[in-house]
Amino acid sequence: MTSKRSGHVLLGINVLVLGYLPAAWKTPLLKKDSFIDADYWANLGRTAERGTLDALFLADGPLLGDPAYDANPIRLEPTVNWGQVAAATSRVGLVATASSTFNDPFELAERLLSWDHQTGGRAAWNVVTTRGVPAARNFGMPDIPFRDDRYERASEFVDVVRALWDSAATNSDVHHHGEFFHVEGRLRVPPSKQGRPIIFQAGGSSQGRALAGRVAEGVFAAELTKNQAIEHYRLVKGFARDYGRSPDDIKILPGLLLSLGSTEEEARRRSDELHDAGPASYSIGWLSQAIGYDASKLELDEPFPEDVLGPLNDTQTFSGSVGFRESIIAQIRKTNPTVREYLKQTRYTGSGHAGFVGTPEQLADHIEDWFHAGAIDGFNLQPDRLIDGLAVIVDEVVPILRKRGLYRHEYETETLREHFRAASPTPAF
Amino acid sequence: MTAPYLALGLAGPHLVELSASRALLSRWDALPVAFSVLGIDRVDGSTPAPVTLASSAVGATLAGATKHGRFFIAAAPQRDHPYNIARRVASLAHLSHGRSGLLIGIRDGYAPEGPRQAPAWGGAGLGGGAPLNAQTAYDAARAVRALEQSWPHSSIIGNRETGILVESNRIVHVDLDDSFAIAGPLNAPEPATGASVIAWYAATAADNPPGSDPIELIIGDAGSVPVVALGKEPPARGVAGVVLRAGLEHSMDDLLDTAERWLAEGFALVAPGGSLRDALGLSAPAPLPATARAAFPVPRPHVAL
Repeated sequence: MTSKRSGHVLLGINVLVLGYLPAAWKTPLLKKDSFIDADYWANLGRTAERGTLDALFLADGPLLGDPAYDANPIRLEPTVNWGQVAAATSRVGLVATASSTFNDPFELAERLLSWDHQTGGRAAWNVVTTRGVPAARNFGMPDIPFRDDRYERASEFVDVVRALWDSAATNSDVHHHGEFFHVEGRLRVPPSKQGRPIIFQAGGSSQGRALAGRVAEGVFAAELTKNQAIEHYRLVKGFARDYGRSPDDIKILPGLLLSLGSTEEEARRRSDELHDAGPASYSIGWLSQAIGYDASKLELDEPFPEDVLGPLNDTQTFSGSVGFRESIIAQIRKTNPTVREYLKQTRYTGSGHAGFVGTPEQLADHIEDWFHAGAIDGFNLQPDRLIDGLAVIVDEVVPILRKRGLYRHEYETETLREHFRAASPTPAF
Repeated sequence: MTAPYLALGLAGPHLVELSASRALLSRWDALPVAFSVLGIDRVDGSTPAPVTLASSAVGATLAGATKHGRFFIAAAPQRDHPYNIARRVASLAHLSHGRSGLLIGIRDGYAPEGPRQAPAWGGAGLGGGAPLNAQTAYDAARAVRALEQSWPHSSIIGNRETGILVESNRIVHVDLDDSFAIAGPLNAPEPATGASVIAWYAATAADNPPGSDPIELIIGDAGSVPVVALGKEPPARGVAGVVLRAGLEHSMDDLLDTAERWLAEGFALVAPGGSLRDALGLSAPAPLPATARAAFPVPRPHVAL
């Protein structure tokens, strides 16, 4: 890509409760229960608006992982949490994850459109199919449906939700009789300022990308390398075109795990300290889940054996993310590290999502590079610890991007859909 | 005899009107009523109004935009599941500092019924579901209560020395298996103000819940807090409180005007602010039995890689 893109990038923040690193809660800047404190969440919203950021993103699932050492598994319900934050903010977009497996499409459609109405048209629904047996057991099921079934259901689920959102505008009943759902009725919720919520899709499986190409307006992608990101960017935009949509109708924002410092050394020190303050068992547990192999059985000081890196025996029952696994295996094959080296390396390079450790200037360079390479429309930034990490993005990274003409100085649009439309168009490919 | 307290019943159009107006929100927030029901028409057998909003979405707005007013959200397990309801109830309680509660209904007046063989939650297409009756709603209320209590708030210790944030071995499964099979635990802790108040709607004695615990308040003519339509006179008989319910022909201003007048004419004033449980003078519910199955092992101080 040689010609420079015009316009600005999209910047979202993936709010992993207190930050993506398990030890984020240990800072004296936080109370022991900040993760359930309304002021903590409202302040995140206000800080994001100070930087004219496009959106705040919240992951979700109807299950609890062990919160013994980490606030990350704690999940306030996103439409409620972002609804409260919406009352404290006026422009920042709010992305709520909700499962297409463990909801009824009528109730979720009504709730999402109501919430979008309440935010003044700043809402987005991130569609996930949800993995994990504990979620199934909260809904009377012994196990989750197979991946293909979950995506077939997700596809029909999204169609029902969109039809119901349309019904709110037309006042005409939906008559849907499909494989999974039967709905005769309509929503009585007033359409929102942006009509209806933006639809996001996260996940890098082939079924997920196809669903994104058909219906999503935003994709939260997982990319470790620029070349891989360019390839997937073109693939998903191509899917959109195959469905008769404009590539501009779908914005692609990979996640980027961040530790920032005023020098590179300071950033590495911050990252090291936060990592060392968290439990080692987490890294091993995370790796096991991510690659579908019990990593505690691996020799820490040996390279990964070939059988660990091969194709999955059964993608249907694999409980991790196919997209994450793909990017992790590619990374391991590239440098052939020992298991311990890999686990330490991922401190700086990311794990599933790409990682970045450096200065605000270097981060701006990185964003600019990937943007002009046609790998992204923006990034979903994931600070190591939000309570002080978000302010660095807002007060130091954003001004650099503004100076380079890559970001707006003030909000020029009101709704999330308008924020998306105002961003840089897709470069030719 | 103690004067009854006043509460407000809002139907769909009032939710839209109230949440869109800073002036109305401010007026609502200052009113010395016990609580408001957000979308009482969703569960009281009314015909659906031309417009409404999901009750929890309005609750979230009130949690963020007001400081004092207390409210019940209305939900029914018709197109909704108790785990999902419990999540919204607990989240609202955290974010509103305990100003919120749940009015559980049997039917959702705004939702289409699910499949004939399982009209409650069967529409989710997961193979489960239950009859659309009082027992199902009651079981949903029991599940919401158990889930809200499955993670004790006091287990959050934040010990920086040992690296233990939560004594997660104190979090328990709920292991319910009645109208809904739910393992639990909930993925948020119990609110600092305790488990949310759960109310039931009963217009006649036949509508009463099949059991008492965890139902702490019965709204409607069969309960301790009858509903009076705006335009009618308040009841003369001794009751704990009265829900003044606006009709579709009334605006929020009409409702607030009448409420202010009634409050001046002898209803007990309930000071704005504080938790819904405290405002209603309800004691904390009993905790889950100590025999409940631990969800996680005892956390150990950790070591770095």
